[in-house]
Amino acid sequence: MITKRLIVCLDVLGGRVVKGTRFVDLRDQGDPADLAARYEVEGADEIVFLDIGASPEARATTLDLIRDTAERLFVPLTVGGGIRSAEDVGLALRAGADKVSVNTAAIEHPDLITLSADRFGAQCVVVSIDAARTDTGWKVFASGGQRPTDLDAIAWAERAVALGAGELLVTSIDRDGSRAGYDLDLTRRIARAVSVPVIASGGAGNAAHVVAAFTEGEASAALVAGILHDGQTTVRALKEAMMASGISTRRTW
Amino acid sequence: MRVTVFDYGAGNLHSLLKALSVTGVESLVETDPVAAAAGDALILPGVGAFGPAAARLAPGRERLRQALDAGLPCLGICLGLQLLADESEEGAGQGLGLIEGRSTRLDARSLPQIGWNQLEAVTDVDVRTAELETAYYANSYAVRPANPGQVTAWSRHEGDRFPAAIRQGQVLGVQFHPEKSSWPGLAMIRSFLDNCR
Repeated sequence: MITKRLIVCLDVLGGRVVKGTRFVDLRDQGDPADLAARYEVEGADEIVFLDIGASPEARATTLDLIRDTAERLFVPLTVGGGIRSAEDVGLALRAGADKVSVNTAAIEHPDLITLSADRFGAQCVVVSIDAARTDTGWKVFASGGQRPTDLDAIAWAERAVALGAGELLVTSIDRDGSRAGYDLDLTRRIARAVSVPVIASGGAGNAAHVVAAFTEGEASAALVAGILHDGQTTVRALKEAMMASGISTRRTW
Repeated sequence: MRVTVFDYGAGNLHSLLKALSVTGVESLVETDPVAAAAGDALILPGVGAFGPAAARLAPGRERLRQALDAGLPCLGICLGLQLLADESEEGAGQGLGLIEGRSTRLDARSLPQIGWNQLEAVTDVDVRTAELETAYYANSYAVRPANPGQVTAWSRHEGDRFPAAIRQGQVLGVQFHPEKSSWPGLAMIRSFLDNCR
């Protein structure tokens, strides 16, 4: 049986981790490759780098970072943020990423999903969807959650998969950073609507939230950031809670 | 020993090459399939699609097959395992035909299979040595060997039980990615190479 994944996300800018983690203080920003490797040792099933930089210089640095990380990390690495074209996808993959996540560019040019999947395989194309609740459902936001679109999140998820997405990373903008728990309705609605794995993201505040992403949310994977970086919990503690709830996951201890 | 990695031109070999280097072997990336047969061991990596990879393999197919028949140790990973078999539903072209059988699409709703899957009924010496219990997969196809006795580990995706590892002498094909399966995956690669020294 395929197991449920715990994915650790690191925000990077200019080749460094920009949010503090328990391994490093805020001023002495951490080396993402080093932090990724430490999370692998803790039992993380995958690592996501979210490149929050916008400048071309920062992009070149990110490719160097992917190269450096790929040489030290032996679990899958997904890279997202600022991917504009199939060429960008190819550059990240050649640098050593296993998967690339696309968001705003896919909203603006949905054929980017098909082009990338045809060229590199659906297994490396992750479509990232930032969604916020409305009175009638969930609306998709672009540009790092800053810009509302006309897209309904469930309909966009279905279309992205039809176009070739191999996975969906679904982030609740309402919950992101709140530590109030994932938006389980959003996660479950999308998980039931598509045939590819859905990664729940945004809002993890404790182990019970992570467990709920799998049980009530019906997600294939849960993405966790802040509560690991600040030392509130550990990958192992989260996985032990998953196992205690009967969720099958990779055991590394 | 010198390990040759055959590059089908599909890209990302970083993790595999690094995995080989941490196991302490010298590796050489070879785009010419004839030259690829010249190492002490051959690795067929797991990136790309069957059709284009089979086309890249074609000019050296006979030479590689002879080398494998003569005892060249070989580790085939994911697509690399599928290239050890006869053919694939995924695309045109011939594999090496060392394993009798063809690859077919996994019988599952959720494809590609992406994630960590458990190994069961493990008899393979290298998988057991590594204590590799859960391995990382990213595949839609799996080899269905004519002789199920060659299967040395199994996995299950939804209702489809498929070979995780297939063994024929010094040749080991794995459907998962050991280079992405953390330290037990690296231990499997190390065990395989140790056993062919």
